[in-house]
Amino acid sequence: MAGSALRRLMAEYKQLTLDPPEGIVAGPISEDNFFEWEALIAGPEGTCFEGGVFPARLIFPTDYPLSPPKMKFTCDMFHPNIFADGRVCISILHAPGDDPMGYELSAERWSPVQSVEKILLSVVSMLAEPNYESGANVDAAIIWCEQRDEFNAIARRLVRKTLGLPA
Amino acid sequence: MQLLLSSVCMALTSAVIGFAYYQKQQFYPAVVYITKSNASMGVIYIQFFVIVFMFGKLLSKIFLGTLRAAEFEHLLERFWYALTETCLAFTVFRDDFNPRFVALFTVLLFLKSFHWLVEERVDFMERSPVLGWLFHIRVGSLLTMLGILDYVLLIHAYNSTLVRGPTVQLVFGFEYAILLTVIASTAIKYVLHAAEMRTDTPWENKAVFLLYTELVIGLIKVVLYILFVVIMAKIYALPMFVFRPMFFTIRNFRRALNDVIMSRRAIRNMNTLYPDATPEELRQSDNICIICREDMVNHSKKLPCGHIFHTTCLRSWFQRQQTCPTCRLNILRTPTVNSTAMPRQADEAGAAAAGNPIPAAAGVQPAGGVPHPAPTALVDGNQARANGNVAGGQTLPPNFADLFGDASGLPNGLPSPAGLQIPPPPVMPMLSPFMIPPHFGYLPPLPPPLIPQDLTNFTDEELRAMEGHQRDHIVQRLKLLQNINLMLDSAGIMMSEYQSLAARLQLTAVTPATAVNGSADSSVYDMPSTSATAMAKLEAHQVTPTAAASAASPTMPTEKVTIEDLGADADEDDIPSTATEAVSIPNSDADFEEHSSELGELRKRRLKFLEERNKSAATTESTTAE
Repeated sequence: MAGSALRRLMAEYKQLTLDPPEGIVAGPISEDNFFEWEALIAGPEGTCFEGGVFPARLIFPTDYPLSPPKMKFTCDMFHPNIFADGRVCISILHAPGDDPMGYELSAERWSPVQSVEKILLSVVSMLAEPNYESGANVDAAIIWCEQRDEFNAIARRLVRKTLGLPA
Repeated sequence: MQLLLSSVCMALTSAVIGFAYYQKQQFYPAVVYITKSNASMGVIYIQFFVIVFMFGKLLSKIFLGTLRAAEFEHLLERFWYALTETCLAFTVFRDDFNPRFVALFTVLLFLKSFHWLVEERVDFMERSPVLGWLFHIRVGSLLTMLGILDYVLLIHAYNSTLVRGPTVQLVFGFEYAILLTVIASTAIKYVLHAAEMRTDTPWENKAVFLLYTELVIGLIKVVLYILFVVIMAKIYALPMFVFRPMFFTIRNFRRALNDVIMSRRAIRNMNTLYPDATPEELRQSDNICIICREDMVNHSKKLPCGHIFHTTCLRSWFQRQQTCPTCRLNILRTPTVNSTAMPRQADEAGAAAAGNPIPAAAGVQPAGGVPHPAPTALVDGNQARANGNVAGGQTLPPNFADLFGDASGLPNGLPSPAGLQIPPPPVMPMLSPFMIPPHFGYLPPLPPPLIPQDLTNFTDEELRAMEGHQRDHIVQRLKLLQNINLMLDSAGIMMSEYQSLAARLQLTAVTPATAVNGSADSSVYDMPSTSATAMAKLEAHQVTPTAAASAASPTMPTEKVTIEDLGADADEDDIPSTATEAVSIPNSDADFEEHSSELGELRKRRLKFLEERNKSAATTESTTAE
């Protein structure tokens, strides 16, 4: 019998495969390592990311679900809550106690109740509604606040790029 | 790339050797020639490293198979650190710097790399769902081999230090001792993982064993490092090259120590404070442990907030955080109630906690209709409970006062059972138009519920709108009826909650007598929090009709008891007063003036909700009326 982290990840994988939420596909990259997942996230409709399909990678710790996974977009992203290297900065991915931005409520933090599905759904809503106060990417936050058109244009370029279309 | 480099190196070496042999024609002169020439020696050294590297590749192919990308990355990273440290070590021992010395360090680095790799591989055991026998053979033999090598080299270093006094062998002896502890901890981990894999059920105590292994090994390492630094500082100079690993070791040790302390505390708390979940409670909840997403069959614990988890899952979570995973109630700061009316200590009198009881208590007053002694008791109990249970203003479990506050939506308490004995109003009250006989037909067999509280709000125009026999009037009346229906529904839900509470009260060894006789405050303490979601629903007045309907039917039998529970002595006054609207309405009017602000807020919320519900239903209702 495998460890509890592995069994829970398997259960979540099964759940996500049987009943996938709209616009989200996720699963282990390889079946012999359930601790590295790849996720595809469709840009939420009605936002500047609409139509895009954004690949991301989830790395789970061995003590999952006691500690949160790490999530990183593997495509270019330009978003106030995504670091330039693709790392996602949302409170659900932070364990209570470490607070990189210094203002998150512990109620929004990671707890074993959360799941891959909830993380990905949060990321979708983060794409739709950036939180410019916690600027992981300060440039993106400023552009989002002050030059929304410019931001939308950049986002649409990224969408085209992820789809392999000429910009 | 590697192949190219090694073949270039190989070619260089053969060229050097071939050239020497060609020049000197004989073996010994050729060797002398090569050793005298720095360039040749350089080439030979490089060849030596290439051979070591190739040998390492071969061994890792045999014992580890293909390295995963992460493994390779980690190996590279650690290798560079170790290399820098080795270079630092050279500075201390620059006096006896010779090829033999370099060779010994190379061997050390070589062995270290394999220690890291096997450590990583064993950690990977936890992640991989399928492991063949090949894995076990490889890891087992590698562990044994490394262990033996470490031991032999350690003994060698020890002996040579004894014989020749402190030399560079001191460093090696110490390094191999550290490596031996690494091998020991890896082997223990391997055994633990393998043992867990063999069993079908999750092995609950594995985490604890791992924790203690970590602690003991950490302690040994820390002692070794400190000893080494002291000895080195006395004999040579301060060994800079061990500072980095020593720092990490001490940090890990501290973490392990902390983990063990936390774990012990968590276990102690779990064993003493929290009751095991009973089969009934397991049946009531959805029976899935939210931490591991598996069924809870046995070994489950219930937290003071009512959430149930596997004992082991909870323990490993409590090692990190002392909060309920679901509602984040701080379990260390919330003394649990031993389910016998033991008042909770107010330890988090946050603003939220303080704020909550007031509207709730205020809700009690109008429900009573006439002033009665219960409210004060309820307020006190409420306060204590709220303080005890609210952490950071989250999920205030409902209590009787809260529920009663909700019930104030229903006119003057709880109609149905009392209604059985209520004689029909002797005098047709002033507002009789609401009670036009046809309405009775739509209601459950019991006598009709009484006029909603918000009745007092009706203006003359509204009343007139309901008086006639035209379509509009009927619509108005139907709306009112619907209000009543909704209130009934909510009362039904409330009753089901009461019922579950009553069941729990009995479960938790409170005798029924105390439950019934006990005044409001004792029952308030007793009451365990019910399922938070249902209550939140109720409090938010988001009562869906279907839920209400399903909840309503089984509640009837217990209603009698709960009323006795609830109203305390005031009920006797209430029941007659509720029977006649003429009496009750002026009363509640007076109450409203007294508690106008809180009540107004409460009523506004309720009315808003009712309006929303009615909007959708009104159209269909009117057509049927036609």
